[in-house]
Amino acid sequence: MRGSRSASGRSATGPTASRDGRASDGSSGAADSRPEGRLIDTPPPGSEAPGASPRRLPEYVLREPRGTYHALNPTTKLVIAFAEAAIAFGVRGWTGPISVLVVLAITAFAAGVARRMVPFALATIPLVISILLVNTLLYPGAHDVIVRLGPLAPTWSGLTAALQATLRVVAFALSAAILGLTTPTDDLLSDLERRGLGRRGTFVIGSAIRMVPRMGERASEITDSQRARGMDTQGGVLRRVRGVIPLAGPMIFGALTEVEEQTMALEARAFSAPARRTVIRVLPDSGTQRVVRWVLFVGAIAAVAAEVSGRLRLP
Amino acid sequence: MTLRLAGARYRYAGTPRVVLDGIDLDVAPGRVVGLVGANESGKSTLCLVASGLAPGSIGGRLEGSVTMDGVETVTLAPHEHAQRCGVLFQNPTTQLSGTAVTVWEEVAFGPRNLGLAVPEIVERVEWALDTLGIAPLAPKDPARLSGGQAQLVALAAVLALRPAYLVLDEPTSQLDPRGTRLVGEALAGLAAETGTGILVAEHKTELLAAMAQDVAALDAGRVALLGPAADVLADPRLVDLGVEPPAAVRLARALEAAGLADPRLLAAVEQAAAGGDDGPVEAAGVSDRPGVGQGRA
Amino acid sequence: MSIEAARRGIALALESVVFVYPDGTRALDGVDLRIAAGERVAIVGQNGSGKSTLVRQLNGLLRPTEGRVLVDGQDVARMHVAQLAARVGLAFQNPDRQIFAGRVRAEVAFGPRNLGHAGADVERAVDEALEAVGLAGTAEANPYDLGYSRRKLLAIASILAMRTPVVILDEPTTGQDARGATRVRAIIERLSDEGRTVITISHDMRFVAETSRRVVVMRAGRIALDGTPAEVFAEPNWPALASTYLEPTLPARVGARLGLAGTATERALVEAIAAARASDPARRRV
Repeated sequence: MRGSRSASGRSATGPTASRDGRASDGSSGAADSRPEGRLIDTPPPGSEAPGASPRRLPEYVLREPRGTYHALNPTTKLVIAFAEAAIAFGVRGWTGPISVLVVLAITAFAAGVARRMVPFALATIPLVISILLVNTLLYPGAHDVIVRLGPLAPTWSGLTAALQATLRVVAFALSAAILGLTTPTDDLLSDLERRGLGRRGTFVIGSAIRMVPRMGERASEITDSQRARGMDTQGGVLRRVRGVIPLAGPMIFGALTEVEEQTMALEARAFSAPARRTVIRVLPDSGTQRVVRWVLFVGAIAAVAAEVSGRLRLP
Repeated sequence: MTLRLAGARYRYAGTPRVVLDGIDLDVAPGRVVGLVGANESGKSTLCLVASGLAPGSIGGRLEGSVTMDGVETVTLAPHEHAQRCGVLFQNPTTQLSGTAVTVWEEVAFGPRNLGLAVPEIVERVEWALDTLGIAPLAPKDPARLSGGQAQLVALAAVLALRPAYLVLDEPTSQLDPRGTRLVGEALAGLAAETGTGILVAEHKTELLAAMAQDVAALDAGRVALLGPAADVLADPRLVDLGVEPPAAVRLARALEAAGLADPRLLAAVEQAAAGGDDGPVEAAGVSDRPGVGQGRA
Repeated sequence: MSIEAARRGIALALESVVFVYPDGTRALDGVDLRIAAGERVAIVGQNGSGKSTLVRQLNGLLRPTEGRVLVDGQDVARMHVAQLAARVGLAFQNPDRQIFAGRVRAEVAFGPRNLGHAGADVERAVDEALEAVGLAGTAEANPYDLGYSRRKLLAIASILAMRTPVVILDEPTTGQDARGATRVRAIIERLSDEGRTVITISHDMRFVAETSRRVVVMRAGRIALDGTPAEVFAEPNWPALASTYLEPTLPARVGARLGLAGTATERALVEAIAAARASDPARRRV
């Protein structure tokens, strides 16, 4: 039990609360002598307890990040990821994706998240395989056949294009992975909010991200329910198409009712109050980082623009 | 100083049906008023209207008057209602913001919306958590709480706006006996300690017998019975209204019907119903880990 | 198999069943349970104790990590969920995780159709199921226009229409008022009278004591208590019940104060008091 618990501030718009008589260590002085008051009782002037320490955020809310890369401002890390993705995709040939991959590898080791990036790299395998197959075998207008295997005719230009596309996809996935692994979503959102992203924007992005696991849970409950009623989830195309409605119906209905409930619950928590929302975690930023962000942002766009206009001639 | 409904009639938007048909009901500070009635008798709607969410946030047509400490709720903006009257629904998960990393930040969500200064937010969050006895949950991930814990966190989040009144729509219906007990005890303590006026719709009449001073029984959008909890819960008409009386009332009736009731026996029923056969101390229920596989089991 | 032929119970058995979720949660930690054909069993315990995981073993939605599950003597490992669905009907807790059809009748017909039935057979099964839950008057309504308690009854009807020899109801009385709860009791009585095996999961001890002949108490993935309601709610078991946050029913508590045993329900208590007084006219005890 903390020490003094006397009433303190009052809100700008609503009733003010006093909470007294809870202190058991005698440090709250005058406040102790008053009976338990009603919630909306206004505290008498000067009831502020002597020696009350300024109230601070607990450690687990402050969550000081550890490590240099982790401690970068979330928006800086967002801009880095953006620049990496832009260059990987925007700068054609080998230079774009390979240089980004080199940077990514260095950052991953420096930030100590290299090992945790492996699953993300593995997750791109299905896409990588399909890109390789489709491009190598079906590259339009290519005639430099590597080897003829019956009806199949893989080409060198197809293979080159496929490898480059693959590297781009992997680079993109890994740049997003580094951002995700070093930056809690909530930090990124609260930083963006501080920079002026509105509370609704912040909420929509934040709840969408957090909804994913809940959607998965709901989907598996629905599948269980329908399978328990004998629905066969395997079988031919027609069967599967018909199986979509029993799965999608409850998904949509559930989402709609939950949105309604959640909207009311948000209103009940003053979500539409006109005041500017308090930012409780101010994440460190610096002049250097601001410069780096602008340089990266402008640089990436300039590189892509130069590439698109054909002025950049890189391998 | 009361939350007062006077001749309140309400229809949802786009429907002609009058769901509340002339409700007169007072919730005074520090009192717990229970609300019972069959399904679709208007309990949930009454909760929405009493809290100002209807018509304030969801529309519909309200006649008559609903006032909080003399102020007509229809004249208030949603965030102003929120600071006068907190609302809690059945489902703990949809009430959490879904954006907070810790319980502490979940509870801070409302005060942050008001744009309060950080020290004031800290004060309110800690007060709300302490009042419900859930301070040990503060560092936890809100997504990993048991149903009862999540419901208490949702309640703390509402309390942090320091409302003078609370409206709860079947706050324990999704909870197991342990969660029900956690929430029931927290609510009873809240009214007694802070003077909050509480209106609570509940099917579990035993819970109301333990914590409500008054009970109103609804029937087709009207108040059919209203009075001290013990009287209403023992009223023979309750059964016809589709409400299950508390176990003690039912048992006393069964004994009377069998011609066995005598003062000594009825006293034994009363004593057994009042407890004394208590289970484990609840504080442990808050601080320990959430149940294994919560949500799928 | 004709849809009419399913009017009998079948036996179920779990043999040393362990179930571990992919995240490592050991939800069942060595469960041995035999349920005879036609038994009426309640499974109780707090959330997370393994109740729902246990019943999902019985219709093949989950397969044991270790041990065996037998339905009608057959190992479920060799059966498909669709095959099991014809034997074990499971009505889930949340109706909104299953309702998809635009009409009540179509929702209820979904199960029987999936089991390969058609025509008048299905119509009859649907009518009977809707009658049983009291929704016969709303057969043509849109399920989403019904309130939560009636959607819940609809979900139960959609399982009843499959006429499975085993019916499992997960929290059937949640959100029901006194009338709805009475309706659910009647359904359980009737299924049981028809000889089917009925399993209910519930948090409501009074409901459990009055509707079941056997109560299985789960705690942390194991069976903590197993017996008739009178046995499970008897005074010596109170500490075990309390350790999983369950309270004996009021008649059991009153009975214990009066020194009477086996009084889990109101009726049992009234009978026990009457018998005690008959044998002891001086009323020294009660």
